[in-house]
Formats: sequence, structure tokens, C-alpha cells
Amino acid sequence: MTRQRRFTGALAAVAAFVALVILLFPLYAVVVASFENNSQLFGTHYNFLPPTPSFANYSTVISTQGGHIISSLIIGVFTAVLTLAISLPAAHALARYRFRVTVALVAGLLIAQILPSIVIANSLFILYHKLHLLNTYPGLILADASYAVPFSILVIRAFMLGLPNDVLQAARVDGATEWRTFTRIVLPMSRSAIITVAVFAFLNGWGDFIFALTLLSGSTFEPITLSVYSYIGEFSTNLGAAMALCVVGLLPAAMLLIAAQRYIAAGLTVGSVKG
Amino acid sequence: MFLVPAFAYLLFAFALPIGYNLILSFEQTSPATISTLVAPFAGLSNYTATLTQSTTQSAIVRTFIFAAGSLFFQFVIGFGLALLFNLRFPLRRLARSLIIIPWLLPLLITGFIFKFLFQTEAGAINQILGDLHLISHPIGFLTSPGWAFVAILVANVWIGIPFFTVLLYSALQDVPIELKEAAMLDGANAWQRLIRVTVPVIRPVIEVVFILGFIFTVKVFDVVIGLTQGGPANTTQILAPWAYNLSFQQFNYGAGAALNTVLLLIALLAAPIYIWLNKESLRGA
Repeated sequence: MTRQRRFTGALAAVAAFVALVILLFPLYAVVVASFENNSQLFGTHYNFLPPTPSFANYSTVISTQGGHIISSLIIGVFTAVLTLAISLPAAHALARYRFRVTVALVAGLLIAQILPSIVIANSLFILYHKLHLLNTYPGLILADASYAVPFSILVIRAFMLGLPNDVLQAARVDGATEWRTFTRIVLPMSRSAIITVAVFAFLNGWGDFIFALTLLSGSTFEPITLSVYSYIGEFSTNLGAAMALCVVGLLPAAMLLIAAQRYIAAGLTVGSVKG
Repeated sequence: MFLVPAFAYLLFAFALPIGYNLILSFEQTSPATISTLVAPFAGLSNYTATLTQSTTQSAIVRTFIFAAGSLFFQFVIGFGLALLFNLRFPLRRLARSLIIIPWLLPLLITGFIFKFLFQTEAGAINQILGDLHLISHPIGFLTSPGWAFVAILVANVWIGIPFFTVLLYSALQDVPIELKEAAMLDGANAWQRLIRVTVPVIRPVIEVVFILGFIFTVKVFDVVIGLTQGGPANTTQILAPWAYNLSFQQFNYGAGAALNTVLLLIALLAAPIYIWLNKESLRGA
């Protein structure tokens, strides 16, 4: 029995390794390409390793894309901040009190998760024109938070429903105000859910393309997704630098996955199934 | 009080744009009407003009084929990987977290990476297929209509596999071991145990992944823009990029809004089922 189990274990490890090699190959390929020059990338055959590895593409990215990377970071961070500011109080109220509107609001959040961003973008473009929010950080960040807000409220609420009631009751008996209970007790206890949501909201803002494409045109700032988009338009002119920029675009997800692995796995499952 | 910001935000970011989209779809818009916020009433003309266009019709059909194809392969591969990760083997925790990566990447960048991989000359996929002697000439993935659709399908399946794997894996973890042991004692083989015991137990999760997978897929935009931009000759146009094209490249906002309404209705097909599957969270249990 144990022998057979060890054998299936080894077989499973080999199968998993093969699956990962195939699935992660696109990421390997983009990293390799980022170290090649244009004539190597457009040669007669594909190179599985860079023939003459060089950091030239990365220095191009740093010198030409530095500002765009900072813009994307600003958008990501403030998307996360705005999402938390909206979601945390709402999740607390929806978890603690059964209002008449609770059911309607939760149903509304579920529907909001379904709405396609392109529909929202099309309207916002014209509305923003009137509100003078086109080509502004606040306008873009308000739109980007739409990816994360419904998900965040549902995830944090699901987490807060699991907090022990007697602690909250005790605070109330001690005469703590609602706000104080919320900031001093509920928020610290919900830390892991908050980290999960912040990570996802950041990645939503960092990776957004639809709203940047529709709500920015000729603006003073430009996130890297729009830079990648312009590289697509001129595919063959500087593919190496485009690939290096893609690697930069992938970095936050990879880094956050390493740093906050537990929170990400938790968020993915709770958010989708128990949301 | 605590609900005010969320309520205001939902109105601003969801209710208002959806409502305004409906208004736009009944208006005679032009680039000049952008600054006026309202345009002359146009009746159903945006709908009739858009829906009778052959590109629109094939985009609608293609969106459903795209969704069906994506869900099929995402489920088969995702479930296979979930079963694999449910076995005990060294480093499986590492493998499980590596598999998540494709899910977290900016979608436009993923599309672009696949454009690079699917190139005809010096493209990795053609090179690998050639090295394996599966093809004798490179395939023009991005230049021939049928293959371009295969390319966006492959990219979208790649993006969706982690979602299916992670959710199905966590469902498999909750299958009581006693059930499987009882079935084993009754003489059921591995396949029978899977079909008769495991699948029925995790069915609620399977339903959720299919509904969410459908919602994700009908909305797909970035991947198409990154990979094919709807081409060649609109053969990879699905609803979202085509609606964008109508509004922002042909500057026909009314027509784009009409198509957006269609997209909205298709996405909302999933709403009653999705809400029903989430009935527990509605009750606040």
C-alpha cells in the first residue's frame, strides 16, 4: 500500500511538473524575449534562450517608461485605498445589522459583479466629459474601483459574519460607540480579509486597460497598459522593449503572490464561492 | 451611515452608467453630441441598424461559441489539475500557488504575450509544433480567420484555468473521506467513485464556476485587443471589443450603447442563477 502510494505520489509530481512547464511557458517566453534584441526576435526561428542576453531593453524601459510605471502604481494604490474606504464600513453594517435593504443591497452587489466594464466605460466617457473627469486620476480611479468594490464588500462581509459576536457585544456594554467598535475591534480582527481585498484592488487598478483606454486620451499621464497598447500598434519596431515592459507589468502580481500567498488563495475561494 | 459611501458609489459607478447607456441607445448620437449629454430621440434605429449588421450578428454567435469553448476546456483542464493537486506529492503547495499566476496578470499583457507566441515566423508555438513534427509549415495564427479564433480561445482558456483549478480543488478538499472509503468498500473503482461520489458532492461549486466562468467570458475585451484587435476581417470580434469599436473607433456611441445593452442582457442571463446560488449570503447566514 505505502509502496503504491509512493509510486502514485511520484507519478503525480511528474504530471504536475509537466503541466506547470506547459502552463507557465508563456511567462518564461516573455522573460527570455525581454533579453533579446529585435533582429533575434524577428529571426528565422524562435530562441528558447536569449542568444546574447542583454539588459538593453530594460534600460530602454526605465528611461522611457519610468513615468508610466509610477502612474500605474498611483492608480493601483489609490484604487485599493478608495475600495477599502467604501467597502469596510458597508461590509460592517451589512454583517451586523439586518436592514430591510440588506437583501436588496447584497443582490445589487452580486449583479454589479456581473456588469461588463465596457458598458460602464462607454457611458462614463460621455458623463465624464460633462463632469470634467476625463484625463484625470480621480476619474480613472473612481472607475477602476468598480472592478473591486462589489467583490470587496462581499468578501469582507463574509469574513465579518464569522467574527465572535460576544466581543462586539462586550464593547457595546462598555459603552463604545459604533464607530469606536468598528475602528478598534472589527477592523483589527478583519486584518486578513482587508489585506486580501487590498491586494486584489491594487492589481485591478494596476492592470486596468478598459477604463484607461476609454477615459484617457492625450492626458498628461498614462499607465503602462496604454504603453503596451501602443507597442501592439507598432509590433515590429521595438518588440524587445515591449517584452521588458510586459515583464514589469507582471512583476506586482508575482511579488504579491509570494508575499501574500495565503491571503490571495483565501480571497480567491471565499470571494467566488461564499461571496 | 456606514452604508452611505457604498450606496453612493453603486449609484455612481453602476446604476448611473447603465441607465445612461439605455438612454444613449435610443438617441441619435454623433461626435458633436458628446458635449450636450442629450441627443435627439432616435427610437429603435440604433438597435435595428446594429443588429442587422452581419458583423454584429456573427459577433453575438461567436461570443456564445467562445464562451462554450472556453468553459469546456477550462473545466476539463481545471478539474484534471484539481484532481492532480488533490493527490499527495512533494512540493504540491508550491505547484498550487504557481498555477494561480496567470489569473493575476494584467489581461492586456497576457493578450500581447500570446500575440508574440502565436507569430508565424519565429513564433514559439509554431516552432514547438514544427520541432514535434506536428506541422510542416508555420501556421498563420494571427492572419488566417479560423486560426485567429483558436488563438484567442487558447489565451482565454489559459487565463481561466487557475480559477477553475483553485475553486474545484478547494471543493475537493471538502469531500468527506468516509464517503470515498465507503464507496471503495462497496467495490467502486476510481472512475465510479469520481462520477458517483465526488462530482455529486461538489456539484454546487461546479455550478458556481460555470456561472462565473460564463460571466467572465462574455465580458472578454483586453485579450482580444492584445492579441488580434478583432481581426483579421472581424473574425475574432466578440461583443465587448465590437461595442468598443462602434463607440470609440466609428464614433457611433448610440450604436455602441445599443450593442452594450445586448451584451448586458446576455451577461444578466446569469444573474438569477448566480443570485440563487448565493442565497445563503443573502440571508446573512
